[in-house]
Amino acid sequence: MTAYLARRALQAVAVVLLVTLIVFGLIRLAPGGVTTAVLGSGSAHQQFLAQYLTWLGRVLSGNLGRSARLNESVGALLAASLPRTLVLTGVSTVIALLVAVPVGLLQAVRRSSAVDHVLRGLTYLCYGMPPFVLGSVLILYLAVDWHFFGAEGPQAAGVGGVIADPRDLTLPVLTLALVTIATFARYMRSSALDSLGQEYVQAARARGGGERRVIVSHVLRNSLVPVVTLIGLSLPQIVGGALVVEILFNFQGMGWQIWQAAVNHDVPVTLGFTLVIGVAAAVGSLLADIGYAILDPRVRISRP
Amino acid sequence: MSGQPSGPVLEIAGLHTEIRRNGAAVRAVDGVSLTVAAGECLGLVGESGCGKTMTARSVMRLLPAGGVITAGSVVLAGTELTALSERNMQTIRGNDVGMVFQDPSSSLDPTMQVGRQIAESVVVHRGASRAAAAARAVEMLSLVKIADPERVARGYPHQLSGGMRQRAMIAAALACEPRLLIADEPTTALDVTTQRDILDLIGDLRAALGMAVILVTHDLGVIAGRTERVAVMYGGRIVEQAATSAVFAGPRHPYTEALFEALPEMASSQPASRGLYSIPGRPPDLVTRSPGCSFAQRCRYVRDWCATHEPALDGDHPGHGYACFFPVGVTGRARGAGGQDGAGGGVTPVSAWVSGRGRQAAGRAATAAPASTAAEPLLRVSGLVKDYPVAGGVLGRRSGAVSAVADVSFELLAGQTFGLVGESGSGKTTVARLLVGLERPDAGAIVFDGADLAAMPARQRRQRRSGIQLMFQDSFASLDPRMRVKSILSEPLAIHQTVRRRGYRRQVLRILDEVGLPADAENQYAREFSGGQRQRLALARALIQRPALIVADEPVSALDVSVQAQILNLMRKLQRQYELSYLFISHDLSVIRYMADTIGVMYLGKLVETGPAEEICTAPGHPYTASLIAAVPAVVTGPEMTRPPLAGTPLAGTLSAGTLSAGTGQPGMAALPGASGPPAAGPDPAHPPSGCRFRLRCAFARDVCAEQEPALRPHAVRGQLVACHFPLGPATAGQVAGQTMPSIA
Ligand code: SF4
Ligand code: SF4
Repeated sequence: MTAYLARRALQAVAVVLLVTLIVFGLIRLAPGGVTTAVLGSGSAHQQFLAQYLTWLGRVLSGNLGRSARLNESVGALLAASLPRTLVLTGVSTVIALLVAVPVGLLQAVRRSSAVDHVLRGLTYLCYGMPPFVLGSVLILYLAVDWHFFGAEGPQAAGVGGVIADPRDLTLPVLTLALVTIATFARYMRSSALDSLGQEYVQAARARGGGERRVIVSHVLRNSLVPVVTLIGLSLPQIVGGALVVEILFNFQGMGWQIWQAAVNHDVPVTLGFTLVIGVAAAVGSLLADIGYAILDPRVRISRP
Repeated sequence: MSGQPSGPVLEIAGLHTEIRRNGAAVRAVDGVSLTVAAGECLGLVGESGCGKTMTARSVMRLLPAGGVITAGSVVLAGTELTALSERNMQTIRGNDVGMVFQDPSSSLDPTMQVGRQIAESVVVHRGASRAAAAARAVEMLSLVKIADPERVARGYPHQLSGGMRQRAMIAAALACEPRLLIADEPTTALDVTTQRDILDLIGDLRAALGMAVILVTHDLGVIAGRTERVAVMYGGRIVEQAATSAVFAGPRHPYTEALFEALPEMASSQPASRGLYSIPGRPPDLVTRSPGCSFAQRCRYVRDWCATHEPALDGDHPGHGYACFFPVGVTGRARGAGGQDGAGGGVTPVSAWVSGRGRQAAGRAATAAPASTAAEPLLRVSGLVKDYPVAGGVLGRRSGAVSAVADVSFELLAGQTFGLVGESGSGKTTVARLLVGLERPDAGAIVFDGADLAAMPARQRRQRRSGIQLMFQDSFASLDPRMRVKSILSEPLAIHQTVRRRGYRRQVLRILDEVGLPADAENQYAREFSGGQRQRLALARALIQRPALIVADEPVSALDVSVQAQILNLMRKLQRQYELSYLFISHDLSVIRYMADTIGVMYLGKLVETGPAEEICTAPGHPYTASLIAAVPAVVTGPEMTRPPLAGTPLAGTLSAGTLSAGTGQPGMAALPGASGPPAAGPDPAHPPSGCRFRLRCAFARDVCAEQEPALRPHAVRGQLVACHFPLGPATAGQVAGQTMPSIA
């Protein structure tokens, strides 16, 4: 297991370095003013590699340059928006898992029943609908018509402020969660169907006891193995969904900031945020690999 | 439930089970009645689709989707199982009836510790605590003779070899000491030596625990000597049921008789030209019910009466039932196990195989000299080496190599068959891949038709290679299911451009005819074919380019015996017709013996013995070959018919009698992987043992075996080449039966 994880960690580091190289290359390609703004004056006569290393050193110490538009450092913008986005994506992913795993399992166990068909229809609907449309529909009914929830995300600063405003947080989280549930549940269903067809499930039934025990102790864990990998892989999708949701609900997270920066040609902010998202994606897939290893002993323990 | 030691443990009466799917009902079990007494072992035999597995699953009430028991009763020790609620049934499964499945690689949950799976039934039925369950798991693991049970219990299934997994599976099935064990093809997925150990183990545990056993299998050899009674199933019914010895001495139902005659083992007692008996036609589809005997379409003794009347299962004397109006073996047929050939009757008693062995061994001594000296061989393989790199470490760099094929050399004459035999992991399939060019050898020469393929530039090699064709075991995987037969067959013609496009159709039709497929098959898809037909198609695809050599990798191991006989006969017919050569690869020694002129035995990448087929099968020189032969379940029975004695004592008295008996375990006991032996799988091909690669499993191993690798040398008195420092000599005294081989399950 250690060798496996060490290998994955090395790969993650390599990916992160690659991301920094690409971002750095983009900075160099940007108009001269930007390059100086990000890399500092006196960088023009340096070699590419030397420039890169200096820049990398600064990035590592937390200095991502200054916004071209706002009188703030990229780091400060990040510090304000990153936690907000983490709350949004984190809460909705957890909710999605808590719903999607039982739903997919139920569908598989009751395959081709009315329950399965209804749930399948619902997940297809959520899966096929763009988050933008889904969010708009939710706003229209749940916020504008019936006033259950706010139409805008929480506007207070900081994580505490966001969490303290559940009325406004509900719709953004719900939108993002629904999209994710659809993906996860469909995957969980097929994965559980796969496990149910395995001979070890028959063998477990032959040992007696109720069907519930067979499902919980044999089917569930085996079906989760591929799903965990999927979570790691769908991280970019979740981040993409978050971007749309943040814009839609005027929720000032990272996605909202990037959008603002892109619209206003604020290159340093765009690139700084891109860098952070790239790193987050690499870390996310590393986490998924660790989860995979925990669930599947064939990965964790090699043959003696 | 109260114990009833005197009455039968299981009593099935008039059981009907249907599988309902897509509006059609398959009558998988169609009126089966049988009983199993306490401590008795019943063999349930038949070909695929005969209903034997469904009968077993009906007892457990673990039927596939759409399966229902429509009539009949299943009484287990006084309890009617078909009437129980599902909740009550759950208290029976695993508690009163245990079940072992076919494929140990998929019947254990890969994500759960082995010990927890074994103790699962104790937790469910006895409410055992965590500690008690863990203790029970360890106890069960030592009962099934697994070394270091504590460690294995904490491990996961993928850390165990196939044989050990099946032992663990048996441990799990027996944890609650059930009255009845149902073993559904428990050894079909295992190598022969492992198969023998597992069957021995089940036999021992049956005696120790006094439980009844139902052994479900397609293999008559597995039944022989392991069961008291046999029930032969066909078309969802039992067609013959009797004491095992009675059925083996003289089967009465034509289907049972045909099953025996289709065995390649039986061929050695018949003139080679006759071929194996194969049952024409296909089994009934079980959806439409036709009047009369269900075997009538395929029966060679059928009369008008059979088509309109249905035979019941009864017999001429108690204990031997058969469902046939015109049973075989009434007049002029040899019965009993004396070994007299059924002269005139045309039916050979099953026991003749053994006497046939002895006869041929005696008659063969004169023709021992290798025949390959005069003519230039069609294929000469010399010094073939193939290693596969093993990735490991943090950077995934090559950290070692699995030695798949190590210095293998043999020759094959035109029109002959070379049989390559060995267990899984012996490298026999790699040899096939090297020959047909799917892999490149690391060293060695493959001289085919006078030119070295290994040394040739790629383009030239491809042209040459059309002379060598491959036939897979799993032709379903190798034939594109979305292609029509005519495209499958004309594709190789187009690639190699041996025929003009206009000639394709004529070629295709001709080849279909040759392999016994109807002409209208050209517009069908491969997926519409049965296993046997697919194998015919695979043969047609190999043949269409008129190769000189066909490399057949386990071509019949997925087939039922009757179909297997058809394919083997077909291959031999085509061989005579076209002077074809075969490199025939199989794990099944009796199939190899039937097909091959020359045999090569592989072990862990090494060719350990090679020579004339009969010589090797009757008087093996290498201890490994001897253990393989001893492990083959022999189709013999009756009190006087024990296993064929394996002739052979170490040559030239280099070993004392003491060394010999040291390896001998108790008769009938599965060899225990001793404390000193490797606890887990067999020798690791990435780190083969020094010296002789077989030495860890060899009863004759001495110090020199670890120091020096034995070369393939001519045997002192026989015609074969043997790679062993102490080859087995001619039969003198004593027997080296299978028990002397400490095997690794
Ligand atoms: S009843 Fe007739 S058709 Fe059926 S097995 Fe007997 S002889 Fe053959
Ligand atoms: S060389 Fe030694 S270890 Fe190898 S098979 Fe012969 S006797 Fe056994």
